[in-house]
Amino acid sequence: MLVGVSVLLALVVNHLSPRGIDLVGQWDTAKGVITANAADENEYRIAEIDRVTDAAKIFYDGDTLFVDARSLGDYESGHIPGAISLPVGQFDEHIESFMNQYPLDQPIIAYCSGRTCEDSHHLARLLLEAGYSEIRIFIDGFPGWQAEGYPIE
Amino acid sequence: MNNFKQKIFNNSWIELAARWILGLTFVYSSIPKILSLDDFARIVYGYDLFPHVLINLIAIIIPFLQLVAGLALIAGFYPRSAAIIINVMLLAFTAALMINIIRGHEFDCGCFSAGQSGYAGSSEVTVARDILYFLCGMLIILFKGHRKSFNGGLSSQRSP
Repeated sequence: MLVGVSVLLALVVNHLSPRGIDLVGQWDTAKGVITANAADENEYRIAEIDRVTDAAKIFYDGDTLFVDARSLGDYESGHIPGAISLPVGQFDEHIESFMNQYPLDQPIIAYCSGRTCEDSHHLARLLLEAGYSEIRIFIDGFPGWQAEGYPIE
Repeated sequence: MNNFKQKIFNNSWIELAARWILGLTFVYSSIPKILSLDDFARIVYGYDLFPHVLINLIAIIIPFLQLVAGLALIAGFYPRSAAIIINVMLLAFTAALMINIIRGHEFDCGCFSAGQSGYAGSSEVTVARDILYFLCGMLIILFKGHRKSFNGGLSSQRSP
């Protein structure tokens, strides 16, 4: 009986909760960034770049700002050349100076540690809420970039 | 020695303490998971043991099993069934932890949180703690005396 009550309660609360998740998530990195598909995240659909070569083409075009959502320590250990560090955990501390430097129509690509990392998605959402509109996410992130042999600094 | 064991296993105050320790622990550990099911699902994924199709279902159901079984233990409602559920979960957690320790896989156990708790790397401590909780569970399951319950105060009732 306790098991039945628990399962029923779990399914009902999950269904009614604004932070509930789908019954089946996306956990295959070959298909994209892993996610439980939370209801509140489905409000935002941000364009993803799922091929390193596409990210590299944008990088060499030179108009787009790459923003690193990882911790400062990870950023300092190596990042895409020219990328700006904006750790998602310290967004509030850094957003004001970021906004003073970059206009709201600045094309931005957010990245983090690859397809098991959601920080770039969280950062992209925060930037959207701050008013930036030209945002995409490079889902293979720094590990994908580095693995393909593109320059790092 | 056997007499001492019997005294321990038949002492209703020790049984009550075991129920409350286990119950409060499981209620406490369920709350952050329930508040952040998506983060807990990522922790389940991090165990690298389950089919992808089951990860969300496990993440949705386990915290509520913990909550309901924990509350049942505290209230003295089907305490033996609740303790069996908790011990099965403890065995499953411990097995999952051991497998990851053996294969050198570092991960967050998600024991008392649903987020990036930084708990990776202390799996041995977690296994030791789970064994202690398991023993509390066994004490509740094997108890044969009168259980303390809240029927207008702390009164004793026959073990169900």
